Amino acid sequence: MALYDNKYWLLSHIRNSFISTDDTGMCEVVMVGESKQVKEKFFSQEPFADPDESDEEEDDDETGSYDLQMDAYFGIRDRGATSRAEKLENNTKKPPKMKHIKWEPRNNSTEDNDNGSINDLFVKKEIKPPDKTNKKVVKSGLSALIEKFTHLPLNPYMEFAKFDGSGQVNIPTRKYRIFLTMLPEEQRHYPLPIVCIATAKIQDLVGLTLLKFSTNHSDFVLKPVANYGLYITEEDGEVDSDFPNLDPKECVAKFGFNCLGLVEHKDPPKMVSFDTPEEIPSSPDSSGGKKRTTSSSKAEETKQIKNDKEIMDGHNRAMEAPLYKSYRVHIVNKLRWWNMEVHLGISSDKIEIDPIAQKNTKLQLVKQSPMSHPMDTIAFCEELETRGNKTTFVVVYAAGFGGKSSERNPYPSSFNMPSLQTSPSFKHYDFEAEKDIAEEIVSKINLILNLRTSPCRREYLAAKERKHFMKRKSFRSLK
Amino acid sequence: MVTDGQDNEQIILATGGYDHTIKLWQTHTGMCHRTMQHSESQVNALEITPDKKLLAAASYQHINMYDLLSNNPNSIVNYEGTSKNVTCVGFNDDGRLMYSGGEDGRVRIWDLRSKNINCSNTFETLPGSGSSLSPINCAALHPNQIELFLGDQNGIIYRWDVRTPLNQQFIPENDVTILDIDISPDGTQMASVNNKGNAYIWNLSSTDIDGKTSLQPRHKFTAHKRAALKCKYSPDSCFLITTSADQTAKIWDTEDYNLQKELKQDSQRWVWDAAWSADSQYVFTASSDSCAKLWNVSKGTMEREYAGHQKAVTALAFRDTVIN
Repeated sequence: MALYDNKYWLLSHIRNSFISTDDTGMCEVVMVGESKQVKEKFFSQEPFADPDESDEEEDDDETGSYDLQMDAYFGIRDRGATSRAEKLENNTKKPPKMKHIKWEPRNNSTEDNDNGSINDLFVKKEIKPPDKTNKKVVKSGLSALIEKFTHLPLNPYMEFAKFDGSGQVNIPTRKYRIFLTMLPEEQRHYPLPIVCIATAKIQDLVGLTLLKFSTNHSDFVLKPVANYGLYITEEDGEVDSDFPNLDPKECVAKFGFNCLGLVEHKDPPKMVSFDTPEEIPSSPDSSGGKKRTTSSSKAEETKQIKNDKEIMDGHNRAMEAPLYKSYRVHIVNKLRWWNMEVHLGISSDKIEIDPIAQKNTKLQLVKQSPMSHPMDTIAFCEELETRGNKTTFVVVYAAGFGGKSSERNPYPSSFNMPSLQTSPSFKHYDFEAEKDIAEEIVSKINLILNLRTSPCRREYLAAKERKHFMKRKSFRSLK
Repeated sequence: MVTDGQDNEQIILATGGYDHTIKLWQTHTGMCHRTMQHSESQVNALEITPDKKLLAAASYQHINMYDLLSNNPNSIVNYEGTSKNVTCVGFNDDGRLMYSGGEDGRVRIWDLRSKNINCSNTFETLPGSGSSLSPINCAALHPNQIELFLGDQNGIIYRWDVRTPLNQQFIPENDVTILDIDISPDGTQMASVNNKGNAYIWNLSSTDIDGKTSLQPRHKFTAHKRAALKCKYSPDSCFLITTSADQTAKIWDTEDYNLQKELKQDSQRWVWDAAWSADSQYVFTASSDSCAKLWNVSKGTMEREYAGHQKAVTALAFRDTVIN
């Protein structure tokens, strides 16, 4: 079975199917590389034998061509498909019937014979002396035409004629088939072929199309170029309305579509003018007053906008709070004098602490294992103090609720309150981070906590309140 | 099939230049109605045969003939053999002969009707610097159809009777290049312009027994501040137009050579070529701003513009009709 990865089949396919239509010359380039062996394969009785396993079953499609299945039609079974393809190619290309006439220097020996013919060839013509008296007033066809069309309104799209790329050979051009949607139904399906230079803009292409269109259909009333848009269009002329029209200011070379539809816009796009707004004529005094009022109202307006923006920001933050986000923070460890860098992951259901592998392993005396606390066990979070650009904040959690994660908690709490001992024991982490990040984390956690009131949190807050009453007394009695 | 009678009703305006295309125009609307490819080189000169069937384009090493009656975008005849640029091309009145001059210093007479292509004639200029012949810039056929006037880069004007190998030389000014020569249709005057912007006018008379035309200097004037590129007598021999690198074309009367009109448009740049309407009322110019233009001679105003070329338009050919 010949497959698309069979090189002989591919070569044959190129040779037979594409060569007759290929103007790029790429096929010839491919075929130049055909070795003798490949050619033999072409003309061998078993076509497209797999280069590796030639005992595969044969393919029915012996010519390898989808376009030129001549054998089937003519019943000729020879391997001359290639030459026929070339013949076909020659026919399609139709070499220009150009006659070449080469200059040949005159042969001196035949000069005598030629003299007679030269005198035949070069016949002296007598010039009639100009008859001034009987001068006929001649009128040229051009003058007549110009006179006849003196008041011919010039085609408004004439300025776009310079973008016409037809016939240009040495500059890049783009070919388009433009469907004119304003035509009656039966004419609409015949696109207008337009060739424009590749450096033209879309609006120039629109203008050029309108120029050609207006010469072909002079009965159509056409509007300025800005009233039309070019849309991506199917081969059958169906305008694709899912896409906006091509940007009129863009270069045509930017778009790779060959079929476009010219559509008249119902509302011409508003021209954006960059002119300075008209000044209000007024006396200097009133203008000063006016200015103030306008400036104050402007300030109010900006304030209002700012407020609205803040509200929106808060809203957005609240909306985003339950979404998982990871921060890079340091765990403050008062006992061990150094801070360990961890990833603090916060989502609506839990807080995760993941240690970041330390480069200096000698320093890492305590192995920090990853922690996960369900959000229901988190009781409290607040900022503690700010030193420089660093802010420390505390996250209080209930150890009893935390399950497995709290069992191996390496951080003994320095915040043990006897009044809370009966209830789940509350422990806390101290973190340190950049001020902005710390604020963000604290507000995020508090927003999440506000959304869900867990019994743990209620208990902690109640305990804190009770503690507030006891105050230092209880502290002292503890110590 | 188009008959000859209908052919003559055609008004043909062809332009060509550096963008390797030749365009045919609808003169009254300014629309280009046909574009022909001239891919091998720029177009140096254009001429339409008297029967309006063929258009000759002089280019590098070739003269290409285009069929004006069909829509074939490619040339149908290719005249080879010039080793350098072909700078000028023209036909005699009956369209049997084509003459061409080239930078290789040779003028060639091509027999268009006869199948015997050997029956053609050649003329060589004097060697310029070194041993190579001096390049020919322009050629004009005297209305008597047997004398060619040639201008070369060394400032020599040759009068050549095409039936003989003999020629006569004139040097109006030293150290200049003759850029164009024209002979008035009534055969009484000859004009030549050079790269200094000077124009020289001769009176022509056929006095000798053997029909030789003799030249008597008539006038010399500075037509342009910079190089004058073309000079063309109007069909009624009343006006001469000169085009120039100074971005203007000027119309002079042929009595005293006073300036009648200056055809000028800002941004039109070099004006390369010009052609008259049959009644001398209008004139076309070709310029470097990629446009050809139609001017009203009596008013000196621009009537039409022919835009569509991508580069400078350097050559123009026009055939008008005459309505009695």
